[in-house]
Amino acid sequence: MVELEPKVLEEVPGTSYSDHPTLPMRTGTWKYLQPRYEDKLPPCSNACPAGNDISKILALLSSGDLEGAVQWLRAGNPFPATLGRVCAHFCERSCNRDSLGGALAIHGLERFLGDHSPQESSVVQSATGRTVGVVGAGPAGITSAYLLARAGHEVHVFDDKPQAGGFLRTGIPGFRLPKDILDKELALVETAGVHFHQNTRVGRDIDFEELQNRFDAVIVAAGFHASRPLNVPGSGQTHVYHGIDLLERLAAGEKLRIPGTVAVLGGGNTAIDVARSLLRIGSTPVIVYRRTEVEMPAISAEIEEAKAEGVAFHFLAAPSRIVQDGDRIVALECQKMRLGEPDASGRRAPVPLFGSEFCLPVSAVVAAIGEIADLGFLPDNLRNDWLRGQKMFKEDFRGVFLAGDVATSRGTVAAAVGSGRQVAAAVDRYLRGEQPLIENPVLTSLWPRALNYDQMAEAESLNPAYFVPKVRCQVHGSSQKTSVKWAVGEARRCLGCGTCNNCLNCYHWCPDVAIQIASAGSALGIDLEHCKGCGICVEECPRGAMSMVEVG
Amino acid sequence: MRTVLKGNGAVAQAVRMARTQVICAYPITPQTSIVEELAAMVSSGQLNSRFIKVESEHSSMAGCIGAASTGARTFTATSSQGLALMHEMLHWAAGARLPIVMVNVNRGLGPGWSLWADQSDSVAQRDTGWMQIYCQSCQEVFDTVIQAFEVSQRVLLPSMVMLDGFFLSHTYEDMDLPEPGLIDGFLHPLCVPHKIDIEKPATLGSMVAPDRYMEFRKKIDLAHQQALGVWTEVDNQWSALTGRSYGLLDEYRMQDAELVLVATATPASTARVVVDDLRERAIPAGLLRLRVFRPFPAAALCNALGNRKKVVVLDRSCSYGHHGAFHQEIKSALYELPASAHPEVRGIIAGLGGRDITAEDLEEMLLRAWQNKLSETVTWWNTLPEAVVR
Repeated sequence: MVELEPKVLEEVPGTSYSDHPTLPMRTGTWKYLQPRYEDKLPPCSNACPAGNDISKILALLSSGDLEGAVQWLRAGNPFPATLGRVCAHFCERSCNRDSLGGALAIHGLERFLGDHSPQESSVVQSATGRTVGVVGAGPAGITSAYLLARAGHEVHVFDDKPQAGGFLRTGIPGFRLPKDILDKELALVETAGVHFHQNTRVGRDIDFEELQNRFDAVIVAAGFHASRPLNVPGSGQTHVYHGIDLLERLAAGEKLRIPGTVAVLGGGNTAIDVARSLLRIGSTPVIVYRRTEVEMPAISAEIEEAKAEGVAFHFLAAPSRIVQDGDRIVALECQKMRLGEPDASGRRAPVPLFGSEFCLPVSAVVAAIGEIADLGFLPDNLRNDWLRGQKMFKEDFRGVFLAGDVATSRGTVAAAVGSGRQVAAAVDRYLRGEQPLIENPVLTSLWPRALNYDQMAEAESLNPAYFVPKVRCQVHGSSQKTSVKWAVGEARRCLGCGTCNNCLNCYHWCPDVAIQIASAGSALGIDLEHCKGCGICVEECPRGAMSMVEVG
Repeated sequence: MRTVLKGNGAVAQAVRMARTQVICAYPITPQTSIVEELAAMVSSGQLNSRFIKVESEHSSMAGCIGAASTGARTFTATSSQGLALMHEMLHWAAGARLPIVMVNVNRGLGPGWSLWADQSDSVAQRDTGWMQIYCQSCQEVFDTVIQAFEVSQRVLLPSMVMLDGFFLSHTYEDMDLPEPGLIDGFLHPLCVPHKIDIEKPATLGSMVAPDRYMEFRKKIDLAHQQALGVWTEVDNQWSALTGRSYGLLDEYRMQDAELVLVATATPASTARVVVDDLRERAIPAGLLRLRVFRPFPAAALCNALGNRKKVVVLDRSCSYGHHGAFHQEIKSALYELPASAHPEVRGIIAGLGGRDITAEDLEEMLLRAWQNKLSETVTWWNTLPEAVVR
């Protein structure tokens, strides 16, 4: 409406114009749908088993606030430097930037931020007087311990190994995760106030019941540390190793020599790590797997790197006998397989071909056919609950929580961290007298490709070589050259899916001038008296940070 | 410079010499050659103008509105169905007070399809707020387009200049084409006071509450009243420059006329011969050509027609159910006179869909009126007897 209040006809302008919403017409009464600002879980975070708040971290980094980005990352995850090396970066596979110059190097940015030591020590809230005991100093146990300590609880971690880290220390070879990186992250966890009790095996050095008595809550994060047994004739032979035992011995610095060709049985990450470790001690590893590469549970990038390093693969073969000559192994007898119908895991099942036996000449065999939990220390009733697949114990055993592989069986470090994070939140609620539910993320997840691509400009990845497997092999160590300039530039490529960044597209498109800007950069508002619910703002939002909802 | 041009050619020359900045048009018979000639001028560089191609007349007028809103001199041309399609935008152009000039080549509307002269198209747009001027010669077409640019920008109302389809649009006539400097000296620089200003973002034509809408509308009506004087003033200025003027009304042998034919456009030109002929037979005939229909010269019409004995109004369109529009309006204007001054007014509807209105037709109309043989208030001229129509 025109600003002036004309007193005579001559003062009325030639035609109507307005720099305001259509004030006289309350078009808001027309609508039965209305827009609202609603941040969504971006596809990267939705895919992140560790639950990293990726878009916010990258928003901080892109604004040049390196310290803020590191703090926010470490506020929910004690292992960014570790995960920045070992994670399969599920996030990047769903990145919406993919078709606009390539997915963001989220994995590389996590490593960059993880390697940047925070200036302040962890922000720890004032002591609550409540105590928590944690069984297992692996990624899940430590994550929950770290977050609960930061929340002000007194946390004690019990672990049977000499040093903390669990599988991060014993199961992942140093060429993938240098141990000084792990040590730095564990030091920050200790700084947050977590008390570690190493060489203390629950059930041997301390009873589980004692933990229940001493602590207000107990978290069981014992992991899968027992090897699944290999049941073929000859498997008791001295030159037959178990994958995680072998990795642990190598990690402990033992000068092991296994000359000749070594058969590595299995298709998971342990098999890959064993094979690559064997290469480094001079052996000639060949991975024997009963299905094909497609069905391998190992992280595909790790498979690629193993191939690049020279690991041999023998698919569609299952061991049937270990052929010995005295105390020496001379061969692994295998049976050929074919792929049948999909099994319960959804992968096509191997079907033996009778009479197809053949021998692989090998001098040693490593069984890496899976790990299982050893929860012998738990009281019978709790263990029975667990065996029945319950993620939470029953009502009369409140105060005991499961975290990590024993809760999820997901088998990745990122999943362990995510589980530790969920359980820490549940335990914190429990200690505060609230419902200890394991909750799913509050935000609606934004489906990949749900963005308004018309509004997005293409931007090339600043480090295309990052995605080439061979180069990644070389940069896996701690010496990777990354600069702040690279990291900030890469973070700026983030589309901020599902997160309003005040781009003001809604404001510019609104035909009713109903988008309200209180002040530059502040959260936007909607003048519902004039918003007629046309939905153009929602349609034009480049990043899906608005939704239409029914009125009333 | 003496030259020979057809009506459409005269339009194109006037638009060129007015240094029109934006032309946004869609071709339609019989207007097409206007658009073709202008496009060729822009393409060859003779005319430094932006020619915007569009997919319909609705868009062509929308484009003109946008262009004129930036303060550019803007022109379009159309006909018949095209003008009808523009209808919504015509209101907008007038309501936004934009000095757009449009030529409409009068043509009948379907169904049945007609390509030929008929004023139904422009008469139907009478109430959109546009000024309407009906021309009778190629020279007048040229002069009127130039005058329309000047009047429009002075009163901030759009102008519609009418040519009879084919009878004028495609008829070549001897005419005078002024030197370019003359037009540059005549037309004032265009100034649209409410043009778009990127420094002051605003919604143009925004919502107006009931407490203010009428004021905007009244100002359009007042602008039409003002435009009557401006047309006369501009016509006089043009006359001083070129020796040619046309007036709001064009009178021929009206001095002592008792029988007056009121006509528009090309039939008025034919009617002069008829009037001369009747005068020779001692019938006191006269011709009043209505040139400017909007703004409506009511007072001038009363002045010209009061106290005559008989008035015959020729309409090349029909407001179905009640007379032709010119007949209606002239009769209603005359009602302002005292009853003693009222002439007898008869309406003739003739020439629809391009049917020729010949000198013989006009003579018979006037004679029948003079002999009291036009018994009906409105006569559909020379149509088949009703009993034959199925």
